Amino acid sequence: MSQNQTNLLQGTLDLLILKALGTGELHGLGISRRIEQITRGTFQVKPGSLFPALHRMEEAGWLSSFWGESENNRRAKFYRLTKAGKGQLGVETEQWQKVSAAMTNALRAT
Amino acid sequence: MKLRSQLSHGLKNIFRKKQVEVQLDDEVRSCVEILTDQKIAAGMSAGEARRTALVEFGGVEQVKQAVRDHRAGAGIELLWQDLRLGARQLLHNPGFTATAIVTLALSIGANTAIFSIVNALMLKSLPYAHPERMGVLFMRVVGSDPFDRQTALDGEQWELLRDNAPSLISALSGGTSGVNLQAGPHVQYVHDARISAHYLDVLAIAPVLGRNFTDEEDRPRGPNTAILSNGLWRNTFGADPSLIGQTIRLKGEPFTVIGVLPEGAVTPSNADVFTALKPSREGAGEGSNFDAIVRLRGGATWQQADAEIDRAWAAREAGFASKNPGSRLTFYSVPLQKGQTQELRPKVLALMLAAGFILLIACANLAGLALVRMLRRTPEMATRMALGASRWQIQRQLWIENLLLALLGGLAGVGAGFAALRGLLSLLPEDYLPVASVTLDARVLAFTLAVSLCTSILFGMLPALATRRLDLRSSLASRTVAGGDRLRLRQSLIAGEVALTVVLLAASGLLIRTLIHLETLPPGFTSAGVMTAKASLDDARYRDPAAFRKLLDETTAAMRQIPGVENAAVGLTLPYERTLNDGFTLRDGPNAGKQIGADELYVTPGYFDTLKIQLLQGRVFTAEDGPTTQPVVVVNRSFARKFYPGESPVGHTLDKGAVIVGVVNDVQLSSGLNPIAPLQSEETVYIPATQFDSKLLAVVHTWFQPSWVVRTSAPVEGLTQQMQRALSSADASLPFSGFYSMSGLMDKTLAMQRIEVALLGAMAGLALLLSAVGIFALVANMVVQRTREIGIRIALGSSVHQAMVHAGAPGARASAAGLVTGLILCAGALRVMRSVLYGVGVYDAATLAAVVLVLVSVTLVATTVPTLRIARIDPATTLREE
Repeated sequence: MSQNQTNLLQGTLDLLILKALGTGELHGLGISRRIEQITRGTFQVKPGSLFPALHRMEEAGWLSSFWGESENNRRAKFYRLTKAGKGQLGVETEQWQKVSAAMTNALRAT
Repeated sequence: MKLRSQLSHGLKNIFRKKQVEVQLDDEVRSCVEILTDQKIAAGMSAGEARRTALVEFGGVEQVKQAVRDHRAGAGIELLWQDLRLGARQLLHNPGFTATAIVTLALSIGANTAIFSIVNALMLKSLPYAHPERMGVLFMRVVGSDPFDRQTALDGEQWELLRDNAPSLISALSGGTSGVNLQAGPHVQYVHDARISAHYLDVLAIAPVLGRNFTDEEDRPRGPNTAILSNGLWRNTFGADPSLIGQTIRLKGEPFTVIGVLPEGAVTPSNADVFTALKPSREGAGEGSNFDAIVRLRGGATWQQADAEIDRAWAAREAGFASKNPGSRLTFYSVPLQKGQTQELRPKVLALMLAAGFILLIACANLAGLALVRMLRRTPEMATRMALGASRWQIQRQLWIENLLLALLGGLAGVGAGFAALRGLLSLLPEDYLPVASVTLDARVLAFTLAVSLCTSILFGMLPALATRRLDLRSSLASRTVAGGDRLRLRQSLIAGEVALTVVLLAASGLLIRTLIHLETLPPGFTSAGVMTAKASLDDARYRDPAAFRKLLDETTAAMRQIPGVENAAVGLTLPYERTLNDGFTLRDGPNAGKQIGADELYVTPGYFDTLKIQLLQGRVFTAEDGPTTQPVVVVNRSFARKFYPGESPVGHTLDKGAVIVGVVNDVQLSSGLNPIAPLQSEETVYIPATQFDSKLLAVVHTWFQPSWVVRTSAPVEGLTQQMQRALSSADASLPFSGFYSMSGLMDKTLAMQRIEVALLGAMAGLALLLSAVGIFALVANMVVQRTREIGIRIALGSSVHQAMVHAGAPGARASAAGLVTGLILCAGALRVMRSVLYGVGVYDAATLAAVVLVLVSVTLVATTVPTLRIARIDPATTLREE
């Protein structure tokens, strides 16, 4: 893992996981790969951060999990968004866009 | 929604842990396998693929731990883990744990017991409605002879208060005394409280049957009425509801029952029957013989009430000021609880302070023990820190262990306190505490919990501070830890506890000396072989002096007939008891015309012979001294010395022409005149029972129950029954209230001193025990820690004796420092005891010498015993170790 990897901002990981699951159910490794993909390799989520976050979000009621078959027929635990999770995705997206726009404006100002 | 989901998951995580763990393990493992599959697909060999996958994954156990740390309920889980670890640690170390719990149980138990008394006396509200609106009256004198105490009222003051203090409902109590109650054929000795009309209104007690006294019934020569306690109504009258309006025979007269108190009603006197006081300016009202109790009326304030009291009694205050220039007298009201407990409060608070000392001593001991234990566990902690435990986790673990220990100790302390309290209450004389019951209520338990938590902080602070400076590398490297500064610290703790112990020992020593002094005072009579019995003559039949004289003659004659009885007599009061006080005028002699106060009692002619009170001059009374002959009196030695210094009082006259015919030796009594000690002898005038003022007789008998005294040459079988029979032969309806030996009377008078000695002695003993344990532990620990060093010393030629002295010295030095500090503390602290010491000074050399001796011997034992191990140290084995 590269030393100069971009650090995840506080709260960003939750949003990325919600977003990654927005298109459908995935298992842990799949989520990590999907995040890497949709951020074009900027964020690589390590299992040590990913799994605690998944369990925490499941406990919060945003995700639900079930056991299924992976692409090469391995038993794996899959996660998907619950109704509350979809709502949370909307809320956090909106919040992030506000922060992002504000930061962009702030950095543009002279 | 979110919270509910988290809660249900949290409960699942805690209670279905196994299932949750299996699922976590499955999930993580499948992820690693998928990753491995991908590596193999990319062309790696199976072994290499798995290794790379594991590295990339970042450690299966670490990921699982990260999940566990973030899961719902993780905090509780951790706490539970720490608690279990703590409990295991305590079980691993049974010696330490048992010592700590016993120490805590004793010290917390002492505090619980004393605090429950403080609670009952001062904190719990009184069992009356709106007790904060109730009060008693105090008198304060400022000036050369200051005074501030509850005041008794005379008849004039009462009338002024009743008529001029509209803010108050005022009532009087004339005291409680034994009277004879005739119910059917039986005569019973019961306690009668004489109360004024609105007394029960002030207490806010309404009779469950009938009514309270009316103003009419409380006037002099008003109708005779009585209110019964619920207990008497049930036990003697079978709870008969038609008793109201009926007549009972009380004090030899008919009384109409007008009321019955509710069950469980508490009054300050706890009497069986209540009769109207009928206060006036005559009889008992001529002197200050009434106790007032008041209740503030709705809307009024205490300031208004005090102003009214001040105005009502302005003439008395002015009279006092003119007679005592420079002094000022004021009267004021004091809340009932404060007024009732005024005498006891300083004593109880002193005991609370002593109990606090015990707690500090216990904490110092435990802090020392916990410190040693902590130091011994340094390698373990260093290992845990090396494995990634944070300082916070280690600290948390330590605090949880302390808390666990303190709570266990507190629990044991409640048990010990309960036992101590029961023992303490059985020591106290009846009706000693002005409260009905002392219980371990919620407030006491809360106090115990708070004390337990405080102790855990007090004794846990030291080890916790010590770990803050724990150096990982050096702790792991060396197996022995013995910092010089830690020894210094432990020594100061020991010195501190020894100092407190010295103060407690000296204080209880002084009380013991006081008790010995009082018990060994020359009594002035011979108490062995004397039996006494009291009967109530507060009876209509004995207001007639002739009937009274006849009763005394017949009963003493009958008692002299009992085989084995040498002599029998009657006296208004006995030695050791409180006497009647009266005023006299000296007609002639060196102090002619002077008005004096003295103790006064009537006696039958045999009184001095029966008690063997020595006659010093003149004669004692004879059967010839009758109601119509020349009035005579006998005085005691103190009276003779004080009023007729250097000459014989025999032949001099007091008022009403009474001639002094004899002087007898002083006896010890409980003073009502000028109480400076619990037992003392003071100026006394003896009057023949036949010549006692007939008007005064009835009043005196409402206050005192006279005593019959017999002297036997050897123990007589069934003496008390024969005495009762002798009394009944003269009056079949006159019961004795009880029989007392003279030593029993002395014990009753000195009960307070005994309790003080027992309580403070127990506390001092406990403190001494704890200090000894502390010194012992310090030295024992030194021996264990320095086994190697001692081995080397012995190998280099030191004798076992020298090595023992070397190991024991730190304990002895700490104790010596504590002794010196304690003696310095005594110089200041013991002065507050002056008011409870008699016959011994505050700086009593014998007491202090005894304290030093006790402490030195205990220190010697506590330092020597643990060093005996040294004799068994074999230098060769010790040096080969490690």
